Amino acid sequence: MTAIKQARTLSRRELLAGAAGAALAGCGIQQRPLTPSRVAIVKAPVYDQRVYGIMQRMLRGLLGDVRGKRILLKPNLVEFEPGTCINTHPIVVHAAFEAFRSLGAASVQIAEGPGHRRNTLDLADAAGYFQTVPHFEANFVDLNLDEVTRVQPVQQFSRIKKLYLPNTALGADLLVSVAKMKTHHWAGATLSMKNLFGTVPSGIYGWPKNVLHWSGIDESIADLHLAFRNHFAIVDGIVGMEGNGPIQGTPKASGVLVAGADPAAVDATCCRIMKINPFQVQYLRLVSGERGTQIAERNIRQVGESIHAVATRFELIPEFQRIRLENT
Amino acid sequence: MRGASWTEPTVYAVLALLAAGESQPAERGLDWLRSRQLRDGGWPPQAGFDESNWVTALAALIPAGHLGEQAHARSIEWLMGTVGEESTLSYRVRRWLLGDPNPITDSAGWPWVKETASWVTPTSLAILALDKENSRRPDERLRKRIAAGRRYLVERMCLKGGWNHGSVRVYGAEGLPYPETTGLALAALRGISGESVDLSIAVARRFLTACRSADALNWLRVGLMAHRQLPPDYTPPELAYRTLTETSLCMLAAETQKGREIFWS
Repeated sequence: MTAIKQARTLSRRELLAGAAGAALAGCGIQQRPLTPSRVAIVKAPVYDQRVYGIMQRMLRGLLGDVRGKRILLKPNLVEFEPGTCINTHPIVVHAAFEAFRSLGAASVQIAEGPGHRRNTLDLADAAGYFQTVPHFEANFVDLNLDEVTRVQPVQQFSRIKKLYLPNTALGADLLVSVAKMKTHHWAGATLSMKNLFGTVPSGIYGWPKNVLHWSGIDESIADLHLAFRNHFAIVDGIVGMEGNGPIQGTPKASGVLVAGADPAAVDATCCRIMKINPFQVQYLRLVSGERGTQIAERNIRQVGESIHAVATRFELIPEFQRIRLENT
Repeated sequence: MRGASWTEPTVYAVLALLAAGESQPAERGLDWLRSRQLRDGGWPPQAGFDESNWVTALAALIPAGHLGEQAHARSIEWLMGTVGEESTLSYRVRRWLLGDPNPITDSAGWPWVKETASWVTPTSLAILALDKENSRRPDERLRKRIAAGRRYLVERMCLKGGWNHGSVRVYGAEGLPYPETTGLALAALRGISGESVDLSIAVARRFLTACRSADALNWLRVGLMAHRQLPPDYTPPELAYRTLTETSLCMLAAETQKGREIFWS
């Protein structure tokens, strides 16, 4: 099994190294570089107007040319709890929206398919998106109710028999996971890769997307990561969540935004900021191969703040104490 | 209107049109539904997916006289043959062999999609459809299946009443109820009384005054009406109706409030 997984990873890298040009060279977006991935860590102490400038500078430094590209921002919208730290803060999403527009994107849309609550627009309204993002409804797609296409990944870790994904997400030139920095009671941490669960259409699979649990949560995260080739990660850690996340945990102010073109490297960096060992997070191990080279600290070039400067210990439920950095 | 037709909004629109006496436009929706029924008797959620799933329960709520006796009977059989994976014999044997300490009960709900666990929404809708059929043509087999489904709902009730998607606890933390699933489950427990139902009615009444979601509010109305607990002079607040399903459900709740038999007979 181990050997197979390693072979899969190599195959994927070869594939990406060879085929990335056609899809990505045109827009200059660096996807799965064989050279060390660049991950930006920037301080953003509170949700206020300063986030717009911070986001702009951060993305300008990380992205290639996105002029003329269709950008899809995928926040993490989970529950109707205004003022809590469950959902990606609307200012972070709007700041990314404005940044991509100012960088010349042909279109920027926001899309989400919540896993528990069916009334997506009401959820977005309660989370403050209507108030923060002008013309929100016109710029939003409910991924739970989008048209779908069956996807047959070249590599598959989970046991899912038929994976359908929304056409809006599959058709974007760049899918940007705008996730929240949270602990997770089943996966350890939920960051940009786990956030892709929201692309799986509940209109097909239901609320919750139980088929992903039956197929293996970590394995499904890995499958989704591989299903979307053109993605980028932004993690809202201004106020994250610790303890019994992703819903019933407690707020944890970290005061950072983390971003990069390699979601596995971004999530591994977030784990280190949270004082979690990324090698103990199963889905990160799956996508980074037996040696975990993709998520090794030496293979990630940190831009902006150092991990040490912003690291803050996120409390974990007892079942996940084993993934804490100092315990491993 | 963007995209192709989906089964769920089509069923709600057909039910609302029928309730409003608009039989001609309803017939177009019924034709579409009949043409989309799969060989196994169920419906897929949309044309792009090729398997029957939970929306079959919704289609089975359409009166047989409108949907067609044969199509309706096949949908009932699909529901009778569907159960959450956790209630299958093979899963229970595996649990027993692995020494799972949790008691195995005789409850049995319905899943969103086959080969996954049961959840509150598909279970509630399936019970409504089967109960409506059992009122039309009483059958011991139906009665037993409805009872097993209702036991599932009672087991999955939140500790202080009401329902969420179906998780009572997650790693020791208490699951909190949602208004939409509380309304749905109460509707499915119509005719059932007891402490747990009373507790949930109290939760639903609290939600009714605070809820700002049209979908949730209208299921709360239906759920409370099922237990004659909606204030007779109740008028819903002004809310944003953003989807066809929400608008249709509002019409159906209003017709139910007038005494029309839509979700039950």
